[in-house]
Amino acid sequence: MTSEVSVPPASVVLVSGGSRGLGLAIVSDLLAAGVKVAAFARTVTPELTALGEKYPDQLYYGSVDINDAAAGQAFVKKVETTLGPIDALVNNAAIGQDSLHVHTSADHLAEIIQTNLTSPLVLTRFVLRRMLAKGLKGRIVNITSICAQRGYPGLVAYSATKGGMDAATRSLARELGGRILANAIAPGFFASEMSAVLGPTQLDQIVRRTPTGQLTEPDDVLPIVRMLLLENTNINGQVLVVDGAASI
Amino acid sequence: MGEVMTAQGRSLPADDTVDLREIGFRSLDFSELALRVEDELGDELNFDAPGLRRIATVGDVLDFIEQLQSA
Repeated sequence: MTSEVSVPPASVVLVSGGSRGLGLAIVSDLLAAGVKVAAFARTVTPELTALGEKYPDQLYYGSVDINDAAAGQAFVKKVETTLGPIDALVNNAAIGQDSLHVHTSADHLAEIIQTNLTSPLVLTRFVLRRMLAKGLKGRIVNITSICAQRGYPGLVAYSATKGGMDAATRSLARELGGRILANAIAPGFFASEMSAVLGPTQLDQIVRRTPTGQLTEPDDVLPIVRMLLLENTNINGQVLVVDGAASI
Repeated sequence: MGEVMTAQGRSLPADDTVDLREIGFRSLDFSELALRVEDELGDELNFDAPGLRRIATVGDVLDFIEQLQSA
């Protein structure tokens, strides 16, 4: 057998859903670290545009609906000609849910599953095919959720999709034989998300029950993304929970 | 197949009966080869894992790719 060489740090990272929230924070953080980044989202925000102006040679971005596979593939090819071959993918794009299962229409269930599970898998397949065809090694980071491991009302379909991505992460790590490192990050609820649906009393209660005494912020997740994309750690097929131990 | 192995600093043995395990040619290497063939054909070559598991030698790889191309 040949000796295995470790997977090099990512040089061109594709981030889905990179126009706001955690996705935008990931894009900004990677650019600051000197990495070339390609980001797409349904809607390009002024914040993403501003990053494009700040890093004109380092960031390529555009408006793509992750459910439009053809547009996603065209975007990937454009990234390759602009920034170079993609050697890392951050699957971040997702839609949320705030409805009890019995009151969620079948069409909306299908939309959540398509956006949060099927489309990321299709994008991953395409990016992997490009990587393998070029003989590249690479890295995948799937942004999932603590919902994949713990039950929460109003998030049945969302949780199912995140659990599906966690499971896919493990199988990808096996299937890709160490040539591509595949990991997931499962953040707890972000303070911004929680405050949108919970009152101050409920928020205070959750904070008191979290051992670190604080809800998750995007900034808590960034060092983990950076580590999984850039460091030589031998972490593969894992789901790393970032929630201040709220779920244990 | 030779291109894939050369890119990894290895060489393709002349003997078709050589076991793939002996030369470190793994399933992902086969995937890389299939994707390169796809590029030439301009068409996707999709196949199930069981077909892949029957491949044991250099000759098997070449035969399998030939079958895929003619399918």
